[in-house]
Amino acid sequence: MAPRWKWKGAEAKALAEPVSETVLELQSSFAQTEASGFLSSCNVLLSVEPEQADLLDRCCFGRPVVNVEKDKRWIQLSFEEAFFLFYKLKCVKISLHGCSLENEVDLWRSMSSFKPNFATSYKAYSHLRSKNWIVRSGLQYGVDFVVYRHHPSLVHSEYAVLVQSISGIDRLKVWSDIHCSVRLTGSVAKTLLILYVNGIVKTENMNLPLCLKDYTVEEQTIRRWSPELSREDETKT
Amino acid sequence: MEEKDCEVSSSSDNEAGFPNDDDEEFHSGGSVPKLQFRVGSSKGRWIAELGMAQVEVKRGKLWTTTGIIRSGKTYCFIEEALYLSEIGELQILGNEDDIVIPLKDLYEKIAEEKSGCSWDNYEVYRYLKGLGYILGRNGVSWTLKDAAITRPNGEEESACAGECLEDKDTVTKLLGDMHICDAKAVFDVYLPNSRFKKSSPGEPSFVACFSGDSPPSKEDIKVLQKRTAAPLMFCHVAQGRASFFSFSSIDLPVLP
Repeated sequence: MAPRWKWKGAEAKALAEPVSETVLELQSSFAQTEASGFLSSCNVLLSVEPEQADLLDRCCFGRPVVNVEKDKRWIQLSFEEAFFLFYKLKCVKISLHGCSLENEVDLWRSMSSFKPNFATSYKAYSHLRSKNWIVRSGLQYGVDFVVYRHHPSLVHSEYAVLVQSISGIDRLKVWSDIHCSVRLTGSVAKTLLILYVNGIVKTENMNLPLCLKDYTVEEQTIRRWSPELSREDETKT
Repeated sequence: MEEKDCEVSSSSDNEAGFPNDDDEEFHSGGSVPKLQFRVGSSKGRWIAELGMAQVEVKRGKLWTTTGIIRSGKTYCFIEEALYLSEIGELQILGNEDDIVIPLKDLYEKIAEEKSGCSWDNYEVYRYLKGLGYILGRNGVSWTLKDAAITRPNGEEESACAGECLEDKDTVTKLLGDMHICDAKAVFDVYLPNSRFKKSSPGEPSFVACFSGDSPPSKEDIKVLQKRTAAPLMFCHVAQGRASFFSFSSIDLPVLP
């Protein structure tokens, strides 16, 4: 399926402003002005300058929290987004119960304790982000993530992503699961993409972000084929 | 030697692609409400040891896309025999006598799964044939001049080993690939094509695979894909409806 750009000129705008460049801008802005957030059981709340809020929005990290404060903006980040900003982009500081979590191991352990499948979910998230795809929650489509080729204001998302862990709960166990997910994603013009996160987890590295290096990700699409639509018309001669 | 066989026997398949003696058109019986045997339908004889029918009388152009040729003689698999019988194009006679085998017995042969085709497989065969697609058994050549017919026992590895001993590469591939795979490649499927030739069928559009009660595992898909260059399509049959899914490995591009 070709990307569906939302308006005439959207594709040109996307080409002119690659995601990777906006991410670099984000990194340099946060390097100048520190931003810190705090961890709750389900997200990270970050307070930032208005320009930083704008950059986060352009890269699609987090959702704004609307309040009357004028000089600061509040953004709520998912664990995956927050850890990515902290560990990969080195943009933010995060604290828990008033103590700053400087050590990535502590942050990783805290997030994993709140969300049991955080490791595989994060590996999938960072795999997609590292390829410069925009990654957002896919909950309303019954999947884990939806990925966009660029900002959602410019383009529709192309893939609906399900993360399948080698050691976790199996998704798509039975045929009706396949029928269901393919039909649902097809009805919103997306292709179902399965990410297999394979972890050869060494026990001493378990619970550490280091185990991410041992994980590999394989991509697989599942599509339904319709025989009526595919044949050529030289059937009956 | 084999050329002589082709000329002498009137029921041998004409590999040059000239029209058969009988100019009657092939009926696609799927949409006709009342099926009946048309006058002068093709006739075959069931050979129990082979689990196949040997075609003795051919009528219609349908034989350009059905049946396999061994040393000039045409044979059909149970699914081909059953399909043609269902639409009234073929009558199958018993091994010992000339009594027409009733459809009930043919259905039983499918249900017994002793001839390499299960009911699920047959549903897919019938559905795609009705739409005009051309189907052959995966791993079985459409035509071999000098080979004798060997029994397809439902295991694609053995069928292949029986038919393809001329091809040393296939044997090496089979031996090197001893993973126990729950999924099976059953049919090679070609797009409808009025110019289809058994002597040079080309690559199939896809290979119809069956993984049984559960969707195929990632490992099974890899094993099957290694054995064939053509795309794989996994068939799921439930309540008489066949659905087709492709599971493709991709590499999402790195964006700028």
